[in-house]
Amino acid sequence: MSAKTGGPVYKGVGRIPDRALLLFSVLIYAFLYAPILVLMFFSFNSSRSTQSWTGFSTEWYAALLRDETIHQAFFNSMKVGVTATLIATVIGTFTALALTRHDFRGKLAADTTIYAATVMPEIVVGVSLLAFFVATLIPLGIELGIVTIVIAHVAFTVSFVTIVVRARLAGMDESLEEAAQDLGANPTTTFLRVTLPLIFPGVMAGALLAFTLSFDDFVITFFVSGVGSSTLPLKIYSMIKFGVTPVINALSTVVLVATIALIFGGSRLLVRRENS
Amino acid sequence: MQERKTTEHSPTASGAGPDTGREVAVELTGVTKRFGEFVAVEDLSLDIYEGEFFSLLGPSGCGKTTTLRMIAGFDEPTEGNISVAGEQVRGVPPYRRPVNTVFQSYAIFPHLNVFDNVAFGLRRAGVQKDEIRQRVTDACEMVQLAGFEKRRPNMLSGGQQQRVALARALVNRPKVLLLDEPLGALDLKLRKELQLELRTLQHEVGITFVYVTHDQEEALTMSDRIAVMDSGVVRQVADPATLYEFPHDRFVAGFIGQTNMFSGRVEAVEGDRVTLRTSDGEKIEAKGQEAIEANSEAHVAVRPEKIRFGGDGDNVLSVTIEQVVYLGVSTQYIAVRPDGEKIVLYQQNSHDTAGPAEGERVSVAWDAANCLVLGG
Repeated sequence: MSAKTGGPVYKGVGRIPDRALLLFSVLIYAFLYAPILVLMFFSFNSSRSTQSWTGFSTEWYAALLRDETIHQAFFNSMKVGVTATLIATVIGTFTALALTRHDFRGKLAADTTIYAATVMPEIVVGVSLLAFFVATLIPLGIELGIVTIVIAHVAFTVSFVTIVVRARLAGMDESLEEAAQDLGANPTTTFLRVTLPLIFPGVMAGALLAFTLSFDDFVITFFVSGVGSSTLPLKIYSMIKFGVTPVINALSTVVLVATIALIFGGSRLLVRRENS
Repeated sequence: MQERKTTEHSPTASGAGPDTGREVAVELTGVTKRFGEFVAVEDLSLDIYEGEFFSLLGPSGCGKTTTLRMIAGFDEPTEGNISVAGEQVRGVPPYRRPVNTVFQSYAIFPHLNVFDNVAFGLRRAGVQKDEIRQRVTDACEMVQLAGFEKRRPNMLSGGQQQRVALARALVNRPKVLLLDEPLGALDLKLRKELQLELRTLQHEVGITFVYVTHDQEEALTMSDRIAVMDSGVVRQVADPATLYEFPHDRFVAGFIGQTNMFSGRVEAVEGDRVTLRTSDGEKIEAKGQEAIEANSEAHVAVRPEKIRFGGDGDNVLSVTIEQVVYLGVSTQYIAVRPDGEKIVLYQQNSHDTAGPAEGERVSVAWDAANCLVLGG
């Protein structure tokens, strides 16, 4: 009864808010994505201008391919990203295991610091890591460079890996591990044959997250990098100091597409694994 | 082998009391388990014999699952000792114990197919490939899952997953199979089917089964012997018939089947005949089970099916029928005594004569031999 009388009234009232909501959503999306689309658009511009369109061209992509310093920065980023991701994924996975499967003194403190690390201001992390390296590594003869960047990236991505893997572990039936032990698997075999395959999607997700965080990190890297160890974000920043050219647009587009492909491909792979 | 046969086919011989002629498969001596302040199991001693279907029965939180987990090795006793097949297992990790478990949640490995699930234990034990194939095939056949070897667990029904869990455990030929409420998640019809199947299977393989359940009917249907547990303590260990006919105490009498309980003061003790006077002056003749003294407080119990209509018997009560529930094979009557206490009785529907109607005043009677004095 009340639904019958209430229905049309509700619809009449709803029409204007519905449209307002649609408009609002469009504006939000425009705000989020329009600058990126503009950036991609002008990477195909035929003139040096990044404001007025003069015609289609791929010359900035060709310029990108010719610039050795950009190649060097890209390889630095890949080197740092892959190494830091591998180390952070291993440490983060075992940290997550310790925090979910074991009880130990100071567990709460360990837990809290892991979460706190994810919201730590990057500027603080960067400055403190620089001070730390100056006090410890440099006296040992290790200069600021790829090594220090890797250490710094491991330090700030480990927490993210831990959190992602932990979520996966929390959703896993603990009796599966007991069942493995019950069937004669020692702790190592249990981990390799049961735990790891089951948390693998979480481990992969954590690794992807760590890699993307490492690949586009600017602030922390800025503090701990040295001569000749510029990563891609640092390189882009230094290029902008000499004026914005469509090469930067082209480079940003490449990085953006690569990142999206990585995340999208990774998640597709995980979904397929889950379903099989 | 011969020994096994005799125990299997004489369930009456497996009643209470020490039976030195049989091998003990699991022995618990003075086992206590504490989790912080909480005492989950207290001073538990049990002998579970080889080839026996033994049930741990009790309400949730009574310590039955903890007991099972201590035998499996997932928890270590705070005090006391456990031995499996004559060997002390304290400090022995689960993966080195000669037992296998069927988990309440089945715990089927979701990333492995049925074959790999069942083969998991054999592979860990380093069994040859050909033998693994043979034994896994046999095990799948035994639990009626032949042809399902390549299936993924998420494509199996609850009952089928249960069978995989069973095959995965039995294929290792453990000394003892531990089952933690394995039928709890299944619907009633499937549960009844699997109860009988499990029982048959246990006879076939001759492996000792230790079965945890909170379902008294399930325990009565399947077990050779049952340990009734409450608050971490074993109240009684006996075969199903003894548990039902001669419960030790009020808890067991109330937990196994339905029962009518009377409380009062003991007036006289003559041999095993006890006379009890209830608070409202009713006199009840009962059979004493243990040393009982005159003038002490006591409780007696009588099963609903032992009470009949009529004024002929050791105990006669005048009651008013409050409710009649037709159950097919039998009819349940709920009657009220003059003091307001309720009494339940069952009558077989084997006669054409109709029983009393609701509101009718009738006499009910039962014999002292069917009325037990209870401890606790």
